[in-house]
Amino acid sequence: MRKRLKTKFLGIEVNLPLVLPAGIMDMSFSGLDISAKNGAGIVTSKSLTLEPRLGHKGPVVAEFESGLLNAVGLCNPGIVDGLTEINQFKERSDTPVIVSVFATNTDDFSKLTNHVNKSRGDFLELNLSCPNVFDEFGIPLAASKDEVFKIVKAVKEISRLPIIAKLSPNVYDIVEIALAAEKAGADALCMINTVGPGMLINTKMVKPVLFNKFGGLSGPCIKPIALKLIYQTYSALNIPIIGMGGVTIGEDAIEMIMAGATLVGVGTAVYYRGIEVFDKINREIIEFMDENNYDNLEDIPKLEKLK
Amino acid sequence: MNKRITLKIAGIERETNDIKTYSFKHSLNAQPAQFIMLTDFEGGEKPFSISDCTEDVFSITVKRIGEFTTRLFQKRVGDYVSIRGAFGSSFFVSQGKVLLIGGGYAVPTFYFLSKVLKENGAEVTLINGARTKDEHLFSEKLSKLGIKVINTTDDGTFGEKGTSVDITKRMLNHHSQAGAWERENGKMFDFVYVSGPEMMMKALQPLLKDHDYEFLFERYMKCAIGICGNCTMDPLGIRLCVEGPVLPKKLVEQLTEFGQYHRDATGKRIKY
Ligand SMILES: Cc1cc2nc3c(=O)[nH]c(=O)nc-3n(C[C@H](O)[C@H](O)[C@H](O)COP(=O)(O)OP(=O)(O)OC[C@H]3O[C@@H](n4cnc5c(N)ncnc54)[C@H](O)[C@@H]3O)c2cc1C
Ligand SMILES: Cc1cc2nc3c(=O)[nH]c(=O)nc-3n(C[C@H](O)[C@H](O)[C@H](O)COP(=O)(O)O)c2cc1C
Ligand code: FES
Repeated sequence: MRKRLKTKFLGIEVNLPLVLPAGIMDMSFSGLDISAKNGAGIVTSKSLTLEPRLGHKGPVVAEFESGLLNAVGLCNPGIVDGLTEINQFKERSDTPVIVSVFATNTDDFSKLTNHVNKSRGDFLELNLSCPNVFDEFGIPLAASKDEVFKIVKAVKEISRLPIIAKLSPNVYDIVEIALAAEKAGADALCMINTVGPGMLINTKMVKPVLFNKFGGLSGPCIKPIALKLIYQTYSALNIPIIGMGGVTIGEDAIEMIMAGATLVGVGTAVYYRGIEVFDKINREIIEFMDENNYDNLEDIPKLEKLK
Repeated sequence: MNKRITLKIAGIERETNDIKTYSFKHSLNAQPAQFIMLTDFEGGEKPFSISDCTEDVFSITVKRIGEFTTRLFQKRVGDYVSIRGAFGSSFFVSQGKVLLIGGGYAVPTFYFLSKVLKENGAEVTLINGARTKDEHLFSEKLSKLGIKVINTTDDGTFGEKGTSVDITKRMLNHHSQAGAWERENGKMFDFVYVSGPEMMMKALQPLLKDHDYEFLFERYMKCAIGICGNCTMDPLGIRLCVEGPVLPKKLVEQLTEFGQYHRDATGKRIKY
């Protein structure tokens, strides 16, 4: 059954098409492992920085009717300890790992890349798009095609691993930014990061719910935005896309694939449907394939590209 | 959806110099060992176990330890705080002869558990340990429950002298030599509950190898809804905020990080 979900991504055989995205269940080797055991075909580390980061004070997550707001603030143990977790995961699992890294300039991205080169990671993802550290770092790099080009190019020159650029939805012209990443040598794109940022207010205490005041939106409410941006990008580019943003059930994943995604990320839905969500969605994808007589994942049609 | 609730503090009771119990008028419907995330929106949202819960009132018992709890200590009756929860697993409600071994601010959780066990007809023995008399908790409240309480302090200033581990050792030894039934079964309690500092739990684990038990763990929590992964325990990837904080024997036995290390707010491993 599951064989029908096999696919290829940047030359690597991937058993299952679902990806555990950066920031979800990925602070420990065991968190990555339990996600893989529950049906994630690729797992991503937390976005690692050169030094450890505490992240923001709580509340760091807030729930509302159609999604989540988060401002975790890139807490992570730093690249050295983070890679130790990844290497330990690889000792017990064949599942490919995307190492996500975050920095704000070419120098630091290069230093991070040198660390990742020596790890057992399979792909390097550049988080150019965290919306929740604005006070500290200003506008995300992914807002500027020139910054994206510069950083991807510098990293591409020294990276042993294929490069994935993680893009922000919070831009006026996604295609221009995606093209800059492709031209600079990105092997794939991951999109979308969280939307907004937005905010929620506690009316009794007259305070923003998140201590950071603002946070990125994820979950069902962002799916239409994700689909649109993935479709536009797929239409204009030739590199593969990991599509994510609000995928909760099998049909959401099918929509991502039809919009142009090669693989599909499932993050916030871990909250809605448990850590078993990956296998649940895998099963739902197979059910869809059965109903529509598709033998393999590749048989699922894509939308006609935008002209 | 897990709705956030914003409540006035209905009562504050001083237990020791560093420990206070806060009660709230709200129907929380929580079970023993479950916890809430509490914030005042001034920086920080922290987990606290439910120390009592009736139909329309619940309470938490807090030890002043750092920035957040110090600020909480300055709050007064009528001040607002905001909570999410209750979250997590709860203790199995056993029947028959049960032993509860608690230390420090974990004891209030056992007050709540004892009430529930008693209502279900269990015969409860509780070892209530602290370092010294001034830190000893809930002895009066517990004595009113009609359960057997063994009070201990490390320095002997209140109750028996010794740690909870010493007392447990003495008790299990004494009994397994005394009765034929215990000798045959290697156990004298139908179920054992342990809650307290991790190294105390680690020391108790080998003593309890013939018993069925549950341990209450603590790990650094951020989201409490099972997505950030900060509270996972190796090597099983158990999320303490969802599958825990109570873990059964068969899982406890597989935990390689138990008594070895935990992860701090950055995710870095900190050795015990
Ligand atoms: C499931 C669970 C139940 C708990 N129940 C109680 C309780 O009933 N009563 C009580 O007094 N305390 C309880 N705690 C611990 C309590 O959350 C911390 O003491 C509190 O967060 C300290 O915050 P602070 O800012 O005052 O201290 P800090 O100086 O920030 O921290 C002091 C220590 O508290 C712990 N801590 C801090 N933040 C967290 C966090 N987000 N998650 C877990 N641990 C943290 C760490 O071990 C830290 O070293 C519980 C913790 C967990 C995980
Ligand atoms: C709690 C949380 C933490 C996140 N942390 C990161 C991160 O460190 N790096 C990153 O690139 N994306 C991060 N994201 C974004 C996700 O990887 C993903 O792009 C986004 O949540 C959309 O997918 P979803 O709706 O399936 O969650 C985080 C998202 C959430 C909810
Ligand atoms: S606190 Fe986030 S997964 Fe448990």
